[in-house]
Amino acid sequence: MDTLNFLMQGFGVALTPTNLLIALIGTLIGTVVGLLPGLGPINGVALLIPVAFAFGLPPESALILLAAVYLGCEYGGRISSILLNIPGEASTLMTTLDGYPMARQGLAGVALSLSAWSSFLGAFIATCGMVLFAPMLAKWAIAFGPAEYFVLMVLAIVAMAGMAGDKPMKTLVAALLGLFLSCVGIDANSGVYRFTFDSIHVADGIQFVVLVLGLFSVSEILLLLEKTHHGQQAVKTTGRMLFNLNEARRVLLINLRCGLGGFIVGVLPGAGATLASALAYMTEKRLAGPDGQFGKGDIRGLAAPETAIGASCCGAMVPMLTLGVPGSGTTAVMIGALTLYNITPGPLLFQNEPELVWGLIASLFVANLMLLVLNVPMIKVFTRILAVPNWALVPLIAIITSIGVYAVHATTFDLLLMVAVGILGYVLRKLDFPLSPLLLGFILGGHMEQNLRRALSISNGDLDILWSSGIAQGTWVLVALMLALPLLRLWRRRAARRPAEPAALA
Amino acid sequence: MRPSLRNTLLAAGSAVLLSAPLSAEPKRPECIAPAAPGGGFDLTCKLAQSALVEAKLLEKPMRVTYMPGGVGAVAYNTIVAQRPADAGTLTAFSSGSLLNLAQGKFGRFDENAVKWLAAVGTSYGAIAVRADSPYKTLADLAAALKANPEQVVIGSGGTVGSQDWMQTALFAKAVGVDPRQLRYVAMEGGGEIATALLGGHIQVGSTDISDSMTHVQSGGMRILAVLSEQRLKEPAMAAIPTAREQGYEVVWPVIRGYYLGPKVSDADYAWWKDSFDRLLASEDFARLRDQRELFPFALTGPALQAHVSKEVARYRELAREFGLTQ
Amino acid sequence: MLLQRLFLAAWLVPVLAMIHIGSAYQAPFAYEPVGPRAFPLLMLGLLAAGLVYLLIHPTPVEHDPDEPPPTAQSLRKVGLCIALLLGFALAFEPLGFIPASSLAGLCFARLYGGRWLPSLGLGVALAVGLYLLFDRLLDVPLPLGILAGLEI
Repeated sequence: MDTLNFLMQGFGVALTPTNLLIALIGTLIGTVVGLLPGLGPINGVALLIPVAFAFGLPPESALILLAAVYLGCEYGGRISSILLNIPGEASTLMTTLDGYPMARQGLAGVALSLSAWSSFLGAFIATCGMVLFAPMLAKWAIAFGPAEYFVLMVLAIVAMAGMAGDKPMKTLVAALLGLFLSCVGIDANSGVYRFTFDSIHVADGIQFVVLVLGLFSVSEILLLLEKTHHGQQAVKTTGRMLFNLNEARRVLLINLRCGLGGFIVGVLPGAGATLASALAYMTEKRLAGPDGQFGKGDIRGLAAPETAIGASCCGAMVPMLTLGVPGSGTTAVMIGALTLYNITPGPLLFQNEPELVWGLIASLFVANLMLLVLNVPMIKVFTRILAVPNWALVPLIAIITSIGVYAVHATTFDLLLMVAVGILGYVLRKLDFPLSPLLLGFILGGHMEQNLRRALSISNGDLDILWSSGIAQGTWVLVALMLALPLLRLWRRRAARRPAEPAALA
Repeated sequence: MRPSLRNTLLAAGSAVLLSAPLSAEPKRPECIAPAAPGGGFDLTCKLAQSALVEAKLLEKPMRVTYMPGGVGAVAYNTIVAQRPADAGTLTAFSSGSLLNLAQGKFGRFDENAVKWLAAVGTSYGAIAVRADSPYKTLADLAAALKANPEQVVIGSGGTVGSQDWMQTALFAKAVGVDPRQLRYVAMEGGGEIATALLGGHIQVGSTDISDSMTHVQSGGMRILAVLSEQRLKEPAMAAIPTAREQGYEVVWPVIRGYYLGPKVSDADYAWWKDSFDRLLASEDFARLRDQRELFPFALTGPALQAHVSKEVARYRELAREFGLTQ
Repeated sequence: MLLQRLFLAAWLVPVLAMIHIGSAYQAPFAYEPVGPRAFPLLMLGLLAAGLVYLLIHPTPVEHDPDEPPPTAQSLRKVGLCIALLLGFALAFEPLGFIPASSLAGLCFARLYGGRWLPSLGLGVALAVGLYLLFDRLLDVPLPLGILAGLEI
């Protein structure tokens, strides 16, 4: 029962008044930073490291602060996704799909509280997983090489087909555009500059923030203008702020499934919350089958990605703590912070600094609970945004969006590119092209291409590497299942319909 | 402190002219880190930020701005074209920036377009293997490469033409193997190399000494050689042999420092140079630098200017030799 | 339907141009058989095929019941809004954040039906408030532009 002892010790560290206060401040700051589109956990964490250092916080308190900010940011990111249809982070893209329709139906409060609950459950599952299996998972994380990542990306892309719905060709075209856009910039493998037209501004590729804010925020501004012109207000507010027990029960199974899955994906370095949430959403959509209202405000479509995000954020801490390898951009910044304290993350951390590690794990529990308790009463405040008239809301969105884009490169070029992308997004939306496959294609495309090429560099061009390991084979099986599921359903429906058809004709 | 006296006079003179307060400290001091938060450039800027304030050389805290793009290309062009006279703005650079500059990847400007201010520290390349690797010394690895360059999978943290690739190619050349025949995998940054190495996906990591030490200390990795002139003095690293002492003339320092815009006045340039001269001589700075795992390397003003010209010329020569540029 | 076809045709042109440009990419060093060219060309090829398919069989546009159909007047406003966004982007650095945002805030608020005085107040309040929030608290440096001399 060593683990339990250590965990109790950890709670001893996390529950001291100072550290509780630090966690509280961290979650609040994180929520604000995450709420602002364009600013994410990396900014929040990077911003607070010098502060933590300047105040002379002991390492465990500093790490608790950073973890709280990190979780707070992830929480804040969903607020703009649900209320305004503007994903603040890549990971909350999937949250817009059902969260925003729910808000439009007057269920903004329910969506916010349910997503907070789901994310809490996801994080809780992941933190428990961390306590029980961290060292074992570390081994599984590094077993993932380029070939395995490639197969994982194939799985995600295949799963994306589930988003097609009733306009498969438009979805495909949008996804392909996203996949292509991910190639712009320097090729990480060969160093060739692709489609940059000798402009240094896109030498590193198109920035995700520019693309997402252009596609979602700018086009939303333009659509709001049309609505204002016709005298509509954005969304009706609602009386009910909390989800009810019935709703919680309906998604509980999803919470458990997606929490587990999100944790596993989150542990993989570099895969991250976006992949976790996308896979969770699309798997649940597949499982729900034709009776799901996915994309039209289904609570399952909200709970699935939110649980996965919460779980994967905590999962990303596993490679950091056990291997000293960053699991995401944010944890990379945290490792930088630890080295300032002369602490080397890695296999020895659990032995050398148990109070730090277990303090952090315990504070993940605490911070998550705090987020839930803090934010549920705040939902009322957040939903007020919906009551703001458009003439006041749009300037706010426009200016904050521009700041978010400017914060990336500090260049005018990005602002202009954002407007151009926004016009494209507006036209695409008018012509009924879905935008989320475009963004997902953009996010996954780079990983897919680079990992394929890395795998082939390793194997010297031998394709066998793509299915030689057990993990890769297992993932291929999942790919096959994903592909087979709708076919099976289609075949069943056909089989059921066939005898009925002549009757209908007659 | 002869230069400081002269500069105080200079500063006082210009202050009288501008009828401003006595210190010529530039307004709105800012350090541009030409990358996303968390990388080496961020670290370089944060070093200046904390060191300048701790040493009381700056009254107002220096801010850090992020301007990612092409290992510094975006920042370089912004400074030269849009903010050439901004006296308060330092921009961080590294050997990687110089390497890209030498390959013409910085747009239309060359290395003479800015005022190089100070280099404050350096890191060194390293060649690492997993702890249980059959290669015990650099000679073992060289022998394996010579026998069949395709049997060793080498991973490094950058694309073809980047610093990590260059140090790999230089080692290949020293061994007598054409860099084209290597089995080379481009990863992103030291973290990915470490993961791939520990996971057994690559056999050799051509990486950076600072990135690797954590894994060496935890017993997952061994370093076959550090690409410095002499052995490093830090206790943990003193036992790591250099490539030179094993008979391979490969030295790959990665220096870090700052430059100023081309139209920054001589008085302001002198103020900054003087500040950094004082900083680099202090004990406190050495401590801050060590904390960030950088090794001593100090050059300011004209000496740095000359060093940059020399390095860029060398990189240009290497790029041509390896067929990266015509 | 015609509009959609026109748009698809207009989209196809840059795609074909990109295919042309992309087919010239070659790496000085190649350590794997795929190279920098294959993936973008494959995506572009499939994209072009998809566009051609849609050109021949366009999918009808389903209008969101919430979304009003565009009229000449609303489209003119959209055009105006785009011009405003571009103007804001161009003024962001030279004018500085506070003046540019005050102006843009005012114009946006007017465009969306605000009255003059509240719009002006909102523009200035947003500009100053957001400047303080981002520049001072969140450490996102914003350009001062013409206010650089004020040293605030």
